[in-house]
Amino acid sequence: MLTFLALASVVLLGIVPEQSQAIVIYTGWERHALVGSDIRLSCSFFSWRWTSEDVTFSWTYRPDGSRDSISIFHYTGGAPYVDNKGPFRDRVEFVGNPGRRDGSILIKNLDFNDNGTFTCDAKNPPDIVGRPSSVRLLVFEKVPIQAGVITGAIIGSVLGLLVLIVVIYYLMRFLVARRVFSLSVSKHGKKKKEGSQQRQLWTPPLSPYLPKRTVSLPPHPSLSLVCLSLSRSLFSP
Amino acid sequence: MLVLAGIIVLHITTIILLLVATIDNAWWITDSVSTDLWGRWELTKSVWHYTNLENYPEEYLQTVQATSVLACIFAILALFVFVAQLFTLPKGQRFTFTGILQLIACLCIMIAASIYTAELHANETLGGYGHSYVLAWISFVFTFLLAVTYLILRKKSE
Repeated sequence: MLTFLALASVVLLGIVPEQSQAIVIYTGWERHALVGSDIRLSCSFFSWRWTSEDVTFSWTYRPDGSRDSISIFHYTGGAPYVDNKGPFRDRVEFVGNPGRRDGSILIKNLDFNDNGTFTCDAKNPPDIVGRPSSVRLLVFEKVPIQAGVITGAIIGSVLGLLVLIVVIYYLMRFLVARRVFSLSVSKHGKKKKEGSQQRQLWTPPLSPYLPKRTVSLPPHPSLSLVCLSLSRSLFSP
Repeated sequence: MLVLAGIIVLHITTIILLLVATIDNAWWITDSVSTDLWGRWELTKSVWHYTNLENYPEEYLQTVQATSVLACIFAILALFVFVAQLFTLPKGQRFTFTGILQLIACLCIMIAASIYTAELHANETLGGYGHSYVLAWISFVFTFLLAVTYLILRKKSE
């Protein structure tokens, strides 16, 4: 039993670090932007090793409909190198922080020709095995409304309003009923103490308008249900 | 008893019509296309294919979707509230809550059908309105009649 456990632990400790030593790179999935605006393409990675001084970031671009990639950015040896010959010359800026494993770039003044896939590849020696991650850039003239946003907003707001109105309505009826009930109780209580020379309590101006039968409450569905709980005749002609 | 049964049957029929109008993609049809509100059915080589809607004024389409769904929700709510009020309403009172819910449903489906008529497929000559569109207008009439009925009807007092 003990030898089995020892063997299993050795095997697991051997297997797990091998797999976990792969570097995992995170970028977005899709980015939408307007023509003429700037976009920040983020790239970060996860690695089991400490961030080394020789960490490298590499961005490549593949236009929509093309099969060739072109390299547009490279960070190595502590210095960034941006595109100075290709389609993004003078438009790429390094805004990342390699010490914090962030290799993001900023692309300025977007055009329709910039539609395509941007791939980020990061290496953290000795952790170099990993899959590059891609983000797709879509450049629009006008940012489109996402499917179902307006639909959901209208439905949600109308139903929320309905719930609010119903809650407020029943709250008001409950408060009015409680107020009438407490007033009728205080009126009966005062009549009992007629003999004593007590100071008259100020009665709110609502009291003259109370119906003569002060004990009965205004029609309220739940209260009438209590009163009429035994008689359940349905509506019929 | 007969009036009660008739009203409930009419209400359920209205709910079914509203559901068909909302769910079935047949607000606008041509010989080979049946479209709106959620997708587009195209007949290519005697096989129907389902595709997404494109090149539509998004705000108007989504408003029509939202208001038709709201009409269904309010009509179903009105049915449940009507059954509840049958048991809990004091005698001689009107079914106001049910009537108000049904009126809101009527308003919603009217907004949906009106916006659809005014903004979508307004300039197209090829094709015509499908059965969902017709059912939407018919359920508008029914919901209006039912709302008026509920607001006038009184619970029988002994």
